[in-house]
Amino acid sequence: MKLLFWISSLAAVVVAGLVVTGFPAEAHHSSTPFYDDTQEVVVVGTVLRFNFRNPHSFLYIEGETVDGEMVEWEVEMGGSVSMSRRGWRPETIKAGDPIRVVGNPSRAPGTHGVCCAQLTQPDGSPIQLVRVEIDDVPLRLVAWSPAKAEE
Amino acid sequence: MRETGSPMLSRTLLCLAAGAALLAVAIGGASAGATAQTATAGAPDLVGLWNGGFSVRPVNGPNMPWTPDNFPVLNERAVAFQGVFDEAIAPKYDCVPSAMPALPYDPYFMEVVQWPDRVILRYEKDDVLRNVWLDEREPPLNDYTVQGFSVGRYEGDALIVETSQFVFDITGFDDYNGIPSSQLKTVTERYWREGEELRMTLTVEDPMFLREPASYTTRWLPAPEGYKLNAYECDAEGARRAVKYMIPKYR
Repeated sequence: MKLLFWISSLAAVVVAGLVVTGFPAEAHHSSTPFYDDTQEVVVVGTVLRFNFRNPHSFLYIEGETVDGEMVEWEVEMGGSVSMSRRGWRPETIKAGDPIRVVGNPSRAPGTHGVCCAQLTQPDGSPIQLVRVEIDDVPLRLVAWSPAKAEE
Repeated sequence: MRETGSPMLSRTLLCLAAGAALLAVAIGGASAGATAQTATAGAPDLVGLWNGGFSVRPVNGPNMPWTPDNFPVLNERAVAFQGVFDEAIAPKYDCVPSAMPALPYDPYFMEVVQWPDRVILRYEKDDVLRNVWLDEREPPLNDYTVQGFSVGRYEGDALIVETSQFVFDITGFDDYNGIPSSQLKTVTERYWREGEELRMTLTVEDPMFLREPASYTTRWLPAPEGYKLNAYECDAEGARRAVKYMIPKYR
Protein backbone atom coordinates (compact mmCIF):
# COMPACT_ATOMS: atom_id res chain seq x y z
CA MET A 1 0.00 0.00 0.00
CA LYS A 2 1.36 3.33 -0.99
CA LEU A 3 0.67 6.11 1.43
CA LEU A 4 2.02 9.59 2.02
CA PHE A 5 1.58 11.96 4.91
CA TRP A 6 2.73 15.56 5.11
CA ILE A 7 3.48 16.70 8.58
CA SER A 8 3.85 20.45 8.82
CA SER A 9 5.78 20.63 12.02
CA LEU A 10 8.90 19.28 13.58
CA ALA A 11 6.94 16.66 15.46
CA ALA A 12 9.12 13.65 15.85
CA VAL A 13 8.22 10.56 13.92
CA VAL A 14 8.79 7.40 15.88
CA VAL A 15 10.04 4.63 13.68
CA ALA A 16 10.15 1.21 15.25
CA GLY A 17 13.41 -0.67 15.06
CA LEU A 18 16.74 0.36 13.62
CA VAL A 19 16.68 3.00 10.93
CA VAL A 20 19.38 4.05 8.54
CA THR A 21 19.85 7.60 7.48
CA GLY A 22 20.17 8.48 3.84
CA PHE A 23 21.94 11.83 4.00
CA PRO A 24 24.62 11.41 6.60
CA ALA A 25 27.07 13.88 7.94
CA GLU A 26 29.57 13.37 5.14
CA ALA A 27 27.39 15.23 2.63
CA HIS A 28 29.39 17.56 0.41
CA HIS A 29 26.90 20.37 0.72
CA SER A 30 24.51 21.74 3.29
CA SER A 31 20.99 20.39 2.90
CA THR A 32 19.11 23.52 3.92
CA PRO A 33 19.31 25.45 0.61
CA PHE A 34 17.67 22.48 -1.08
CA TYR A 35 15.40 20.97 1.54
CA ASP A 36 13.11 22.43 4.19
CA ASP A 37 14.28 21.10 7.53
CA THR A 38 11.18 22.47 9.27
CA GLN A 39 8.97 20.11 7.27
CA GLU A 40 8.78 16.36 7.22
CA VAL A 41 7.48 13.98 4.62
CA VAL A 42 6.73 10.29 4.90
CA VAL A 43 6.70 8.21 1.75
CA VAL A 44 5.82 4.55 1.63
CA GLY A 45 6.34 3.17 -1.83
CA THR A 46 8.23 0.90 -4.17
CA VAL A 47 11.85 1.31 -5.17
CA LEU A 48 12.32 2.07 -8.86
CA ARG A 49 16.13 2.28 -8.89
CA PHE A 50 19.10 3.09 -6.69
CA ASN A 51 22.03 5.10 -8.06
CA PHE A 52 24.96 4.39 -5.74
CA ARG A 53 27.39 7.17 -6.70
CA ASN A 54 29.55 10.07 -5.54
CA PRO A 55 29.17 12.76 -4.41
CA HIS A 56 25.61 11.68 -3.68
CA SER A 57 23.54 8.57 -4.17
CA PHE A 58 19.91 8.85 -5.19
CA LEU A 59 17.06 6.49 -4.48
CA TYR A 60 13.95 6.65 -6.67
CA ILE A 61 10.63 5.61 -5.24
CA GLU A 62 7.18 5.43 -6.75
CA GLY A 63 4.75 6.81 -4.21
CA GLU A 64 1.79 9.12 -3.74
CA THR A 65 1.72 12.82 -3.07
CA VAL A 66 -0.57 14.32 -0.46
CA ASP A 67 -3.09 14.81 -3.28
CA GLY A 68 -3.02 11.14 -4.16
CA GLU A 69 -1.03 11.64 -7.33
CA MET A 70 1.47 8.88 -8.06
CA VAL A 71 4.91 10.41 -8.63
CA GLU A 72 8.56 9.52 -8.65
CA TRP A 73 10.24 10.62 -5.44
CA GLU A 74 13.96 11.33 -5.53
CA VAL A 75 15.73 10.68 -2.23
CA GLU A 76 19.17 12.24 -1.94
CA MET A 77 21.63 10.21 0.08
CA GLY A 78 25.31 10.24 0.97
CA GLY A 79 28.17 9.43 -1.37
CA SER A 80 28.88 5.79 -2.14
CA VAL A 81 32.41 5.92 -0.71
CA SER A 82 31.20 7.01 2.69
CA MET A 83 28.07 4.87 2.62
CA SER A 84 30.20 1.84 1.83
CA ARG A 85 32.10 2.42 5.04
CA ARG A 86 28.80 2.10 6.88
CA GLY A 87 27.79 -1.12 5.19
CA TRP A 88 25.85 0.08 2.15
CA ARG A 89 26.25 -1.70 -1.16
CA PRO A 90 24.73 -1.05 -4.61
CA GLU A 91 22.47 -4.04 -4.04
CA THR A 92 21.37 -3.02 -0.54
CA ILE A 93 18.17 -1.65 -2.06
CA LYS A 94 16.78 -3.15 -5.25
CA ALA A 95 14.08 -2.20 -7.71
CA GLY A 96 10.77 -3.55 -6.52
CA ASP A 97 11.64 -3.40 -2.83
CA PRO A 98 8.95 -1.86 -0.62
CA ILE A 99 10.36 0.97 1.48
CA ARG A 100 9.41 3.68 3.92
CA VAL A 101 11.17 7.05 3.82
CA VAL A 102 10.90 9.82 6.40
CA GLY A 103 12.77 13.01 5.57
CA ASN A 104 12.75 16.69 4.65
CA PRO A 105 10.96 17.73 1.43
CA SER A 106 12.60 19.74 -1.34
CA ARG A 107 11.97 23.49 -1.35
CA ALA A 108 11.20 24.29 -4.99
CA PRO A 109 7.46 24.10 -5.69
CA GLY A 110 6.30 21.14 -7.70
CA THR A 111 9.37 19.04 -6.99
CA HIS A 112 9.45 15.73 -5.16
CA GLY A 113 12.85 15.50 -3.55
CA VAL A 114 13.55 14.15 -0.09
CA CYS A 115 16.64 14.55 2.00
CA CYS A 116 18.15 13.55 5.27
CA ALA A 117 15.87 10.55 5.32
CA GLN A 118 15.45 7.62 7.61
CA LEU A 119 14.87 4.47 5.60
CA THR A 120 13.15 1.32 6.81
CA GLN A 121 10.94 -1.46 5.59
CA PRO A 122 7.29 -0.31 5.42
CA ASP A 123 6.64 -1.96 8.79
CA GLY A 124 9.55 -0.12 10.36
CA SER A 125 11.92 -3.07 10.39
CA PRO A 126 15.52 -2.31 9.49
CA ILE A 127 17.22 -2.42 6.14
CA GLN A 128 20.05 -4.90 6.38
CA LEU A 129 23.49 -3.46 5.86
CA VAL A 130 26.79 -5.27 5.53
CA ARG A 131 28.79 -5.17 8.72
CA VAL A 132 31.98 -3.20 8.20
CA GLU A 133 34.92 -3.27 10.58
CA ILE A 134 35.31 0.47 10.26
CA ASP A 135 32.04 0.77 12.15
CA ASP A 136 34.00 -0.14 15.24
CA VAL A 137 36.12 2.97 15.02
CA PRO A 138 33.65 5.63 16.30
CA LEU A 139 34.46 4.85 19.90
CA ARG A 140 37.68 6.77 19.36
CA LEU A 141 35.83 10.05 18.93
CA VAL A 142 36.06 11.30 22.48
CA ALA A 143 35.60 15.00 23.00
CA TRP A 144 38.14 16.00 20.40
CA SER A 145 37.74 19.41 18.89
CA PRO A 146 40.01 21.02 16.31
CA ALA A 147 39.49 24.41 17.87
CA LYS A 148 40.91 23.19 21.15
CA ALA A 149 43.72 21.14 19.75
CA GLU A 150 47.18 22.43 20.34
CA GLU A 151 49.57 22.97 17.52
CA MET B 1 86.65 -34.77 -22.59
CA ARG B 2 87.31 -32.78 -19.46
CA GLU B 3 88.57 -29.90 -21.50
CA THR B 4 85.44 -29.89 -23.60
CA GLY B 5 83.31 -30.24 -20.47
CA SER B 6 85.01 -27.35 -18.74
CA PRO B 7 83.75 -24.63 -21.13
CA MET B 8 80.23 -26.05 -20.79
CA LEU B 9 80.55 -25.90 -17.04
CA SER B 10 81.83 -22.37 -17.31
CA ARG B 11 78.90 -21.37 -19.49
CA THR B 12 76.53 -23.00 -17.01
CA LEU B 13 78.14 -21.17 -14.14
CA LEU B 14 78.06 -17.98 -16.16
CA CYS B 15 74.35 -18.42 -16.81
CA LEU B 16 73.75 -19.13 -13.13
CA ALA B 17 75.76 -16.08 -12.18
CA ALA B 18 73.84 -13.95 -14.66
CA GLY B 19 70.58 -15.32 -13.32
CA ALA B 20 71.66 -14.59 -9.78
CA ALA B 21 72.64 -11.09 -10.80
CA LEU B 22 69.28 -10.51 -12.45
CA LEU B 23 67.57 -11.89 -9.37
CA ALA B 24 69.61 -9.58 -7.17
CA VAL B 25 68.68 -6.62 -9.35
CA ALA B 26 65.06 -7.66 -9.22
CA ILE B 27 65.13 -8.02 -5.44
CA GLY B 28 67.01 -4.78 -5.13
CA GLY B 29 64.47 -3.04 -7.32
CA ALA B 30 61.60 -4.43 -5.32
CA SER B 31 63.28 -3.35 -2.14
CA ALA B 32 63.81 0.13 -3.50
CA GLY B 33 60.19 0.25 -4.48
CA ALA B 34 59.18 -0.70 -1.00
CA THR B 35 61.54 1.66 0.74
CA ALA B 36 60.62 4.47 -1.63
CA GLN B 37 57.40 4.89 0.29
CA THR B 38 59.13 5.31 3.60
CA ALA B 39 60.32 8.56 5.01
CA THR B 40 63.66 10.07 4.14
CA ALA B 41 66.29 9.45 6.80
CA GLY B 42 65.82 11.94 9.60
CA ALA B 43 62.39 12.98 8.45
CA PRO B 44 59.25 12.20 10.44
CA ASP B 45 57.55 9.04 9.27
CA LEU B 46 54.14 10.14 8.02
CA VAL B 47 53.72 7.29 5.55
CA GLY B 48 50.48 5.41 5.64
CA LEU B 49 46.80 5.27 4.99
CA TRP B 50 44.97 7.62 7.31
CA ASN B 51 41.37 7.71 8.44
CA GLY B 52 39.87 11.20 8.40
CA GLY B 53 36.30 9.91 8.43
CA PHE B 54 33.34 10.97 10.50
CA SER B 55 34.37 8.60 13.28
CA VAL B 56 37.65 10.38 13.87
CA ARG B 57 36.76 14.06 14.19
CA PRO B 58 33.74 16.36 14.18
CA VAL B 59 32.25 16.39 10.69
CA ASN B 60 32.62 19.46 8.50
CA GLY B 61 29.82 21.96 8.16
CA PRO B 62 29.15 25.71 8.33
CA ASN B 63 30.74 25.79 11.81
CA MET B 64 33.34 23.08 11.45
CA PRO B 65 36.30 23.28 11.34
CA TRP B 66 35.65 27.01 11.34
CA THR B 67 34.07 27.49 14.74
CA PRO B 68 33.21 30.80 16.41
CA ASP B 69 36.70 30.68 17.91
CA ASN B 70 38.65 30.48 14.66
CA PHE B 71 36.22 31.67 11.99
CA PRO B 72 38.08 33.91 9.52
CA VAL B 73 37.75 37.66 9.80
CA LEU B 74 36.34 38.70 6.43
CA ASN B 75 36.94 42.06 4.80
CA GLU B 76 34.21 44.13 3.13
CA ARG B 77 34.91 42.54 -0.24
CA ALA B 78 34.30 39.04 1.11
CA VAL B 79 31.16 40.08 2.96
CA ALA B 80 29.77 41.72 -0.18
CA PHE B 81 30.55 38.59 -2.16
CA GLN B 82 28.74 36.44 0.38
CA GLY B 83 25.69 38.64 -0.11
CA VAL B 84 25.45 38.03 -3.83
CA PHE B 85 26.75 34.48 -3.93
CA ASP B 86 24.35 31.93 -5.39
CA GLU B 87 24.91 28.40 -4.11
CA ALA B 88 23.59 26.96 -7.37
CA ILE B 89 26.75 28.00 -9.23
CA ALA B 90 29.20 26.43 -6.80
CA PRO B 91 31.79 24.51 -8.86
CA LYS B 92 31.35 21.36 -6.76
CA TYR B 93 28.01 20.79 -8.49
CA ASP B 94 30.07 20.26 -11.63
CA CYS B 95 32.48 17.89 -9.88
CA VAL B 96 35.24 20.45 -9.45
CA PRO B 97 37.28 18.94 -6.62
CA SER B 98 37.40 20.31 -3.14
CA ALA B 99 40.53 22.41 -2.55
CA MET B 100 42.54 23.93 0.26
CA PRO B 101 41.77 24.73 3.04
CA ALA B 102 38.62 22.55 2.92
CA LEU B 103 40.00 19.39 1.35
CA PRO B 104 41.98 17.96 4.30
CA TYR B 105 38.97 18.33 6.59
CA ASP B 106 36.57 16.47 4.32
CA PRO B 107 35.66 13.27 6.16
CA TYR B 108 37.53 10.82 3.98
CA PHE B 109 40.70 8.76 4.03
CA MET B 110 44.09 9.98 2.84
CA GLU B 111 47.33 8.28 1.89
CA VAL B 112 50.76 9.79 2.51
CA VAL B 113 53.80 8.66 0.53
CA GLN B 114 57.24 10.12 1.20
CA TRP B 115 59.83 10.08 -1.54
CA PRO B 116 63.21 11.83 -1.48
CA ASP B 117 62.06 14.55 -3.85
CA ARG B 118 58.40 14.86 -2.90
CA VAL B 119 55.59 13.94 -0.56
CA ILE B 120 52.49 12.62 -2.25
CA LEU B 121 49.13 13.30 -0.61
CA ARG B 122 46.43 11.17 -2.13
CA TYR B 123 42.87 11.88 -1.08
CA GLU B 124 39.89 9.58 -1.33
CA LYS B 125 37.69 12.65 -1.67
CA ASP B 126 37.43 13.69 -5.30
CA ASP B 127 40.41 11.44 -6.23
CA VAL B 128 42.73 14.38 -5.57
CA LEU B 129 46.48 13.81 -5.72
CA ARG B 130 48.89 16.49 -4.54
CA ASN B 131 52.64 16.56 -5.06
CA VAL B 132 54.56 18.41 -2.39
CA TRP B 133 57.96 19.12 -3.90
CA LEU B 134 60.97 18.88 -1.61
CA ASP B 135 63.59 19.68 -4.25
CA GLU B 136 63.38 23.47 -4.01
CA ARG B 137 61.84 23.89 -7.42
CA GLU B 138 60.09 27.12 -8.26
CA PRO B 139 56.42 27.31 -9.26
CA PRO B 140 55.82 27.73 -12.98
CA LEU B 141 55.10 31.30 -13.99
CA ASN B 142 51.42 32.12 -14.42
CA ASP B 143 50.37 28.58 -13.70
CA TYR B 144 47.34 28.69 -11.40
CA THR B 145 45.39 25.57 -10.54
CA VAL B 146 42.58 24.40 -8.27
CA GLN B 147 45.04 22.67 -5.92
CA GLY B 148 47.84 25.18 -6.34
CA PHE B 149 51.57 24.47 -6.31
CA SER B 150 53.03 22.92 -3.17
CA VAL B 151 56.56 22.90 -1.86
CA GLY B 152 57.67 21.35 1.40
CA ARG B 153 60.47 20.88 3.87
CA TYR B 154 61.10 18.99 7.08
CA GLU B 155 61.53 20.96 10.27
CA GLY B 156 62.35 18.77 13.24
CA ASP B 157 59.55 16.27 13.61
CA ALA B 158 57.24 18.07 11.22
CA LEU B 159 56.59 18.38 7.52
CA ILE B 160 55.86 21.93 6.43
CA VAL B 161 53.89 22.38 3.20
CA GLU B 162 53.42 25.77 1.57
CA THR B 163 50.97 26.08 -1.29
CA SER B 164 50.33 29.01 -3.60
CA GLN B 165 49.35 29.54 -7.26
CA PHE B 166 45.66 28.88 -6.70
CA VAL B 167 43.04 29.86 -9.24
CA PHE B 168 40.39 32.36 -8.26
CA ASP B 169 37.72 30.15 -6.72
CA ILE B 170 34.20 31.40 -5.95
CA THR B 171 33.93 28.85 -3.13
CA GLY B 172 37.62 28.55 -2.45
CA PHE B 173 37.39 28.78 1.31
CA ASP B 174 34.97 25.99 2.12
CA ASP B 175 31.81 24.24 0.98
CA TYR B 176 29.39 26.01 3.28
CA ASN B 177 29.94 29.71 3.84
CA GLY B 178 30.10 31.25 0.38
CA ILE B 179 33.57 32.67 0.90
CA PRO B 180 35.73 32.97 -2.21
CA SER B 181 39.49 32.77 -2.48
CA SER B 182 41.85 34.56 -4.82
CA GLN B 183 45.17 34.05 -6.55
CA LEU B 184 46.70 35.64 -3.46
CA LYS B 185 45.63 32.69 -1.32
CA THR B 186 48.45 30.81 0.38
CA VAL B 187 48.06 27.78 2.60
CA THR B 188 50.61 26.47 5.08
CA GLU B 189 50.23 22.99 6.53
CA ARG B 190 52.27 21.51 9.33
CA TYR B 191 52.05 17.73 9.73
CA TRP B 192 53.41 15.77 12.65
CA ARG B 193 52.85 12.53 14.51
CA GLU B 194 51.21 12.50 17.92
CA GLY B 195 51.53 8.89 19.04
CA GLU B 196 49.59 6.86 16.51
CA GLU B 197 47.78 9.94 15.19
CA LEU B 198 48.69 12.14 12.28
CA ARG B 199 47.99 15.77 13.09
CA MET B 200 47.97 18.89 11.00
CA THR B 201 47.62 22.59 11.58
CA LEU B 202 46.53 24.50 8.50
CA THR B 203 46.79 28.24 8.11
CA VAL B 204 45.22 30.10 5.21
CA GLU B 205 45.98 33.64 4.15
CA ASP B 206 44.26 35.63 1.44
CA PRO B 207 44.55 39.41 1.71
CA MET B 208 42.00 39.74 -1.08
CA PHE B 209 39.26 38.48 1.25
CA LEU B 210 40.62 37.83 4.76
CA ARG B 211 41.74 40.49 7.21
CA GLU B 212 44.10 38.07 8.94
CA PRO B 213 45.26 34.47 8.68
CA ALA B 214 42.87 31.78 9.84
CA SER B 215 43.81 28.30 10.98
CA TYR B 216 42.50 25.02 12.26
CA THR B 217 44.07 21.84 13.60
CA THR B 218 42.83 18.37 12.83
CA ARG B 219 43.89 14.76 13.01
CA TRP B 220 43.77 11.39 11.27
CA LEU B 221 43.95 7.91 12.76
CA PRO B 222 45.55 4.90 11.10
CA ALA B 223 43.19 3.27 8.62
CA PRO B 224 41.91 -0.17 9.53
CA GLU B 225 44.14 -3.02 8.41
CA GLY B 226 43.60 -3.83 4.77
CA TYR B 227 41.65 -0.70 3.91
CA LYS B 228 42.13 0.52 0.35
CA LEU B 229 41.29 3.98 -0.92
CA ASN B 230 38.07 3.92 -2.90
CA ALA B 231 37.80 5.53 -6.30
CA TYR B 232 35.59 8.60 -5.96
CA GLU B 233 34.73 8.99 -9.64
CA CYS B 234 32.44 11.98 -9.19
CA ASP B 235 29.24 11.60 -11.17
CA ALA B 236 28.72 14.97 -12.86
CA GLU B 237 25.04 14.38 -13.48
CA GLY B 238 24.41 13.35 -9.90
CA ALA B 239 26.52 16.17 -8.49
CA ARG B 240 24.12 18.76 -9.91
CA ARG B 241 20.91 16.77 -9.55
CA ALA B 242 19.68 18.36 -6.32
CA VAL B 243 20.25 21.94 -7.46
CA LYS B 244 16.77 21.96 -8.98
CA TYR B 245 15.36 21.76 -5.46
CA MET B 246 16.64 25.20 -4.47
CA ILE B 247 14.55 28.34 -4.70
CA PRO B 248 16.49 30.37 -7.29
CA LYS B 249 18.35 33.33 -5.84
CA TYR B 250 17.94 35.32 -9.03
CA ARG B 251 14.87 35.07 -11.26
